[in-house]
Amino acid sequence: MRYRTSVCGLALSVGLGLGGAQASEWTLEKAAEPYAGTTVDVVFLLRPGYEAAEAMLPEFEEKTGIKVNIVKHPYENALGEQVRDFVAGGDFDIALIDLVWIGNFAENEWIVPIDKFTSNPDLLDPELDLEDFFPLVLNAFGGWGGTIYGLPFDNYSGLLFYNDCMLKDAGFDRPPETWQEVMDVYGPALTKDGKYAYALQSKRNETQSADSFARFLWPFGGSFLDENFRSNLLSPESQAGLNFRQELMKYMPEGIVSYDHAEAVNALAQGDVAFITEWSAFYATLKNPETSKIADCLKIAPEPMGPAGRKPALGGFSLAVTTQADEKEQAAAWLFIQWITSKANALEYLERGGVPARQSVYEMPGVAEKYDFVPALVESWQDGVPEFRPRFAEWPEITEIVQEWGTKMMLGEVSVEEGARIIGEQMEAVLEEAGYYSGEKPLIQ
Amino acid sequence: MSARTPRRTIFGFLGPAVIALALIGIGPLIYAFWTSLHFFNLTKLKKVKFIGFENYAEVLTDPVFWEAMGRTFTLLIIALPLQIALGMGIALILHRPGLGFLKTLTRLSLVLPMATTYAVVGLLGQVMFNLKYGVVNQLLGFLGIDPINWIGDPFNAFAMIVFWDVWQWTPFVALVLLAGLTTVPGEVEEAARLETKNWWVVLRHVQLPFLVPGLVAVLILRTADTLKLFDMVFTLTRGGPGASTEMISLLIQRVGFRAFDQGLASAQAIILLIITIILAQLYIRLFYKEV
Amino acid sequence: MAAAPGTRRAAVIQIVLMTVVILFCVFPFYWMVTTSLKTQVLALESPPVWLFEPTLSNYTTVLFEDGVGKTLINSLIVAVSTTALAIALGLPAAYALARFEFRGKKDLWFWFITNRMISPIVLALPFFLIVRQLGMLDTRLTLILIYLTFNLPIVIWICTDQFRSIPFELDEAASLEGASQWRIFRSICLPLAMPGVAVSAIFAFIFSWNELMFALVLTRNAAKTAPAMAVSFMEGYNLPYGKIMATSTLIVIPVLVFALIASRHLVRGLTMGAVK
Repeated sequence: MRYRTSVCGLALSVGLGLGGAQASEWTLEKAAEPYAGTTVDVVFLLRPGYEAAEAMLPEFEEKTGIKVNIVKHPYENALGEQVRDFVAGGDFDIALIDLVWIGNFAENEWIVPIDKFTSNPDLLDPELDLEDFFPLVLNAFGGWGGTIYGLPFDNYSGLLFYNDCMLKDAGFDRPPETWQEVMDVYGPALTKDGKYAYALQSKRNETQSADSFARFLWPFGGSFLDENFRSNLLSPESQAGLNFRQELMKYMPEGIVSYDHAEAVNALAQGDVAFITEWSAFYATLKNPETSKIADCLKIAPEPMGPAGRKPALGGFSLAVTTQADEKEQAAAWLFIQWITSKANALEYLERGGVPARQSVYEMPGVAEKYDFVPALVESWQDGVPEFRPRFAEWPEITEIVQEWGTKMMLGEVSVEEGARIIGEQMEAVLEEAGYYSGEKPLIQ
Repeated sequence: MSARTPRRTIFGFLGPAVIALALIGIGPLIYAFWTSLHFFNLTKLKKVKFIGFENYAEVLTDPVFWEAMGRTFTLLIIALPLQIALGMGIALILHRPGLGFLKTLTRLSLVLPMATTYAVVGLLGQVMFNLKYGVVNQLLGFLGIDPINWIGDPFNAFAMIVFWDVWQWTPFVALVLLAGLTTVPGEVEEAARLETKNWWVVLRHVQLPFLVPGLVAVLILRTADTLKLFDMVFTLTRGGPGASTEMISLLIQRVGFRAFDQGLASAQAIILLIITIILAQLYIRLFYKEV
Repeated sequence: MAAAPGTRRAAVIQIVLMTVVILFCVFPFYWMVTTSLKTQVLALESPPVWLFEPTLSNYTTVLFEDGVGKTLINSLIVAVSTTALAIALGLPAAYALARFEFRGKKDLWFWFITNRMISPIVLALPFFLIVRQLGMLDTRLTLILIYLTFNLPIVIWICTDQFRSIPFELDEAASLEGASQWRIFRSICLPLAMPGVAVSAIFAFIFSWNELMFALVLTRNAAKTAPAMAVSFMEGYNLPYGKIMATSTLIVIPVLVFALIASRHLVRGLTMGAVK
């Protein structure tokens, strides 16, 4: 059904294009002609989606003559590198934006809203079809304050990856549906003989905030802030969630606080834990026999539900054009962003290991069967919460607070309630300083 | 010394070095000081404003800062005596006559840890002390000890840092002390040995005076280097788990480059600099009588 | 002297202890190299394996695909250049400090030395902002210059010491014959100071090669040095132990070689002549 809609849409836009001032069709090659020879610089991470894009670069360069210069950084450094670059008037022409950075980048006016380019018929691909993006993803990753700045590029949802063989051996015929089941049934049954039921990556960096802390707030009805932007961490729901996490630690491996993504994924891949809730991007690593011992036993499901429903972790990156780039670079950058996230390229991107945010690609025949994470992913992207982590400019400061006290909570250095209180106080201090309470700043997250 | 060297000559010889170091060393310091007097956050550049010594007040009353300083000094206080004790032992063993080949081999081996890139030490630590894949736990297993969670446990992580600091710098101490031992006049030492077989007595009364300069050098350098310590801890634990291995340099780096509060980080750095200079002045003026 | 039975036992203990020391120092390197020769699967075996079929694939990947080769070359260029510069600037200064008398000499000397004690973090950001203004970010020249903050002190300290140990009579004799200070410096003292010069050069090289923080902050792609590259492998998504150890081995080998060459002088250099 969507096919017909998009074909109609295609026909319409072609018709409109034909009826417009230019009698010729828009092609990438033609649009890029004035910019051949331009180089655009961008930060890429060392993750599968980026490798997929990198593999597709030669095709782009051939068609357009535009060179894309990739600077690789680990996630940890990516924000710092870009901020330093923007602050000092540097080279990056494309910004790689983690959804939690968008408020920051937008407020500092480091990125350009896309209508600068979508209103330009020379640069706009008639097939751009913004509506084909999952709305949640487009708005959360690329939008801020009602304006769209970037297109979703490297997209994740939290998924439950589980070792079906381990589950079957313990007598389970389906994965856990709720967190309560995990605590009451699956946890005890699977934690024995040196194996554990679950590993929750909790290292003291963004992982703690995004993967560990937030994951146990939303499904329990809690949140970081209430509607007045005051701390909501002491609410009964938030406390329930955080206490639950604390209790659940007995079914997790020792030293879980030093586990980052690599360790958690590895724990599952080596058969040491029965399931993990991790980003969808790890599908490739877990399915590959060279890096995973459980490739045949791997199955995927949406994350377990809490009392407040299923609120899976939401994360991802969009690409936007930077204001510091000059006109030519901006145009060239836009062409690349548009191309790499286009409907036409989505399937190739997917096949090479990326995770596109195009609804159309997941509806193509055979895709859901070939990539078993698709059904869970599509479902997760219907329900997610955009402010899973507040995305405003103050997030870098606040995440540091959450990381520090979230890990201290888990290490038992401070009680859950006390830790939540401290985080709340410090968070409110940051927000106060930023002017949210005095009305200086609108309450957007 | 020479009398009346013309000023021009002095400038000619010293000038280039002084200018270079001034530009590169002092210029940035002044800028850092200027930054420390402002609210200067890289993500909020529109809100840069002069706030006088507020940053300094915040730093000096911030428990996190003092905890980091505390950790750094704790590391020094634990590691340094260990390095001296072990180094002394190694130096004494190497000082005995005989076994030339083995001694040369030992001396050469001692050189290796000192020259290793600090970042590599940290990476090596991650591989060797891994709970599951690490060889250390495997070796402990042969002794019947259960696998220990090194990196994930706050206390063990700190112990690991101590271990690697000792590994890397004990050889240094050993070689310094060995050099000191060779300055003891042969006859005095022989005479002493004829009087007593007790090596401790010989050490205390005969050799120690000659070792003092070396020990002082060790004290100065290890203190300065421990305050600077970054690479090894960064690659090994990033300051975690929690904040258990966050040394002062890591704290400053985190505040300045992850939370982007340059004003605060600069204030912290300047305070660190002042502490370092005070200690250096103290040591050098008390002990080092050369210039 | 008749060999007492205690001497034999003492010798055995000595041998044992020295062997322990050697093993203790060398084992981590052994582990580093062997891990670098393992494939990812082997490296993640638990418990770790000691006997296996080695592979050079990590090295080839790291050198050619991941660009570590380029970073090694950067490291080499930076280290050699900054050492040369430090020597060129530092030797005359050291000579002046050793030979000339003037007011404030002690303070000047102290200032030079303190630079070695400064934590790089103090300078890192101001440097970044200044360098960016000058458009010199991500260039080797930037690193070469900023490394002088610790190289120059090293050269000065060691060579001041060295010059001072040259008998002053030689200077006097030459100046009686009408030689200028510069000539005395160049033709008489310098050749005699070569050991110190060599030692300080080796140290400057080693410290420059090993430096991490400035390289992390001030370079991106073009001028990235090897230690900065090694760190970037430790991203939270993968644990490529084999590649990390391969990079580490490549980084560490040049310095170890140098250190072994300079081993006699190593201690002296590190204490900068404090041991008398």
